Amino acid sequence: MLEVSNVTLSYGGVRAIDDVSLTVAKGRIVGLIGTNGAGKTSLFNVISGFTRGDKGSIRFNGAAIENVRPSEIAQLGLVRTFQTPLGFPRMTVLENMLVFSRADAASRGRIFGRSKPDGAILEQAMATLDEFGLASRGNDLVQDLAAPELKMLEFARAMMGDIKLLMLDEPAAGVNPALLENLTSHIRSLRDRGVTFLVVDHNLKFISSVCEEIYAMADGRVIAHGDSADVIANPDVIRLYVGTGGADNSLSKEAEA
Amino acid sequence: MEGLILFAVSISTLGAIYAMLCLSLNLESGNGPLWDLGIVSFFGIGAYTYTLLTADPALEQQSFLLGLGLPMWIGAIGAAAGGGIAAWLIGLPTLRLKREYFLIATLAFAEIIRQVFANENWLTNGVAGIYGLRQPFKSYFDAADYSYVLLALTLCGLAFTWYVTRRIIASPFGRACKALRENEPLAITAGIDPQKTSIRLFMISGALSGFAGMFYVWYNTLIIPGQFVADLTFFIWAALIIGGIGNQRGALVGGFIFIFLHDSLRFLQVSGEMAVAFTSLRTALIGLALILILRFRPEGIFAERPVRFDLPALKREARDA
Repeated sequence: MLEVSNVTLSYGGVRAIDDVSLTVAKGRIVGLIGTNGAGKTSLFNVISGFTRGDKGSIRFNGAAIENVRPSEIAQLGLVRTFQTPLGFPRMTVLENMLVFSRADAASRGRIFGRSKPDGAILEQAMATLDEFGLASRGNDLVQDLAAPELKMLEFARAMMGDIKLLMLDEPAAGVNPALLENLTSHIRSLRDRGVTFLVVDHNLKFISSVCEEIYAMADGRVIAHGDSADVIANPDVIRLYVGTGGADNSLSKEAEA
Repeated sequence: MEGLILFAVSISTLGAIYAMLCLSLNLESGNGPLWDLGIVSFFGIGAYTYTLLTADPALEQQSFLLGLGLPMWIGAIGAAAGGGIAAWLIGLPTLRLKREYFLIATLAFAEIIRQVFANENWLTNGVAGIYGLRQPFKSYFDAADYSYVLLALTLCGLAFTWYVTRRIIASPFGRACKALRENEPLAITAGIDPQKTSIRLFMISGALSGFAGMFYVWYNTLIIPGQFVADLTFFIWAALIIGGIGNQRGALVGGFIFIFLHDSLRFLQVSGEMAVAFTSLRTALIGLALILILRFRPEGIFAERPVRFDLPALKREARDA
């Protein structure tokens, strides 16, 4: 579904992404780990079109997207989230849902589009909000939501559009264990409905539990790739996370904890 | 008493024109993401386009382009088209800028356009302006009653502007503009193209401001570059902030309140010396109103209202489905 080949990105003299290649197959949940400054978010920005890479190619469902505008990439069904979920703060939860709906996307080209949303779309939005525990918050402003509710809204929004690949940027950041479990089940549930995932996070327990395969990055390069358990046990990855003395497979212990 | 009524009718007409501009500004800057400090330029271009299309040919001592003497309805379309096309041309380079730089660039463009009005004699008759412009349907009414007719026509223009802006704000396109205002990167992930959306919004707002320019020509029966100075842009912003940015009713009421605050002192019959003092007082009064609003009601008289739906009914329908 997503093929990133030999992508490079430099900021001045600093090489943020160095000849990175990765593949995300349809229906998979793929993780991307690495310490701060490893290039994970830069890679997210390049894939989603927010930053133009210096070299390399990116194909999504067979189409080259390395020179496509980010809004057009989103229209193709490749959608990303951001590290701090803010939503559209001074719009209601339901309005946030509508912005991401297929109906809005199809008719926002007309200046005098329908002034009242279609009942079926609103019903779909309400049913989705119900599923994510936000049904009672439909008419509330997003700026009044608590952080866990904002996380849930990110997933609920994704259900409104025609999303094929969802790239989550640190979904577990600042999330308590109960909510983390909830997030994990929602990711699996969305995958079962046909959404593919590329997930960046620092939380190894979360990443190893939700992802089927993992790419590990350091200094802008991919240093390991494979099944979750293999990557977590990889000596280079262990060295990266716990230093040179950590070759006792302590990452696996952390992931199991 | 009759004088007071006529004065009230006159400032109400001007208030309606300001309210049109406030609605136009609210569309792009209140609901949308565009901080436009050049609204006066589209207002002026609309007014001049209308004039050049509908005025009689230039007299011997005058010099201006066209003067085609066309019907007023063609002038109305021309005024809106002039404002919209100017917004497109100005928007092409400036909408690539970040919000703060866009604001400065539009202010600069507005001043350039005013200089064009003032210095391109072949086009606009320069600072001398164009006088004695016709007012619509004037021959059908008694001259003493015409100010009421003009007020009615201007209120029709205001109603049209209200309808158009309200429809746009409630549409998916309006929602996309609001999403861009709130969080541009996230809006992009919803498939909204900031460039295309913003230029369309800017053009619509420019067209509505140009349309309002026609009523200003009717009101004044003359057009001079001095009518389109940057002060007017700041007046419209002040009116919108007082009324409530992001709220249609706020924009509507703000235009009238502003004119009442700014022009009501004109009615007082005072000595020449006092009149000069009162002129300064007018601006001070607006400043005071702004300070009070920002201190005690920063969201304006009418705060922006969230778009709410009948949730219980929707929940029932969702569960039944």
